[in-house]
Amino acid sequence: MVAQQDALITQMRRGTLQYCVLALLADEERYGFDLVRGLAEMDGMVTSEGTIYPLLSRLRRDGLVESNWQESPSGPPRRYYRLTDSGRAALDAFRLEWRRFRDAVDNFVERKA
Amino acid sequence: MVASNADKLVAEYLKALDSELRGLPRSRRGELTQEISEHIAEARSGLEADDEAGVREILERLGPPAEIASAEDPAGPARAGWTEVVALILLPIGGIIVPIVGWVVGAVLLWVSDAWSTKDKLIGTLLFPGGLLIPLALLFLAEESGGCGSVVNPQLQPQQGALSCPPADGVGAWEILVMAALVIVPLMAIAYLAQRLMRPPAAPA
Repeated sequence: MVAQQDALITQMRRGTLQYCVLALLADEERYGFDLVRGLAEMDGMVTSEGTIYPLLSRLRRDGLVESNWQESPSGPPRRYYRLTDSGRAALDAFRLEWRRFRDAVDNFVERKA
Repeated sequence: MVASNADKLVAEYLKALDSELRGLPRSRRGELTQEISEHIAEARSGLEADDEAGVREILERLGPPAEIASAEDPAGPARAGWTEVVALILLPIGGIIVPIVGWVVGAVLLWVSDAWSTKDKLIGTLLFPGGLLIPLALLFLAEESGGCGSVVNPQLQPQQGALSCPPADGVGAWEILVMAALVIVPLMAIAYLAQRLMRPPAAPA
């Protein structure tokens, strides 16, 4: 049962992670390292930082984010990511669904006696 | 410059990652390795160059190379597009449709595609150049000269000298074998390339 629960948590994390990436990009563009550390700061969201890069590549391929290279004040150029229009639409749609889902679950599991 | 232990740790990590990414198309493999390497460089910019413990922590946070490799979208860039499909059609029969040029176009498409590794591309190119053009041409010439004297097409006469007349009782066994190999090997190479497009083997359709 515990193993099953762990698997479920992992799946929930995996499923929601990409929307967290989109949300981090909602207001500003960020470069890879900054984005990865931003996600990792939140406890319980990312266990291996390196796995974010394959996710970013998939979001790019799916057209939800786009990237461009910019000079960095120190060191080599950085790849900056920003939301595309369809990325923004995907994020908005997820926000609505997520709120409904979260409220519905909270309604049961957080019910005060 | 002497490499510090910290540098060695990073080099080992990147090497392990690169080998875990073997199954990916070369361009994607290089891109991901480069991103991870830049991540490490960025994280190290706040550390002393020889801060071994600091580097260990960075690598630990990145996670095991195998985990990063398994996060790559399995159905990723290897998916077959029109380039791959056209290449697989032109390699065997392109040379027949437009002699030589058709095959060359197929080979070029094979090499520009991201979906195959260099090894796959070598197999596709060398087994056999021209695709089915060579066996077809041989068959054609053999037929033409088959009668040994009863030439139907006089234009082919100059080429006859180059071809030995088959034995009286027809085509020899090893000629059939060579012919069969010339037909089967390129078809097998194409089947191999097509199967490589269906990666990963973990998820057979």
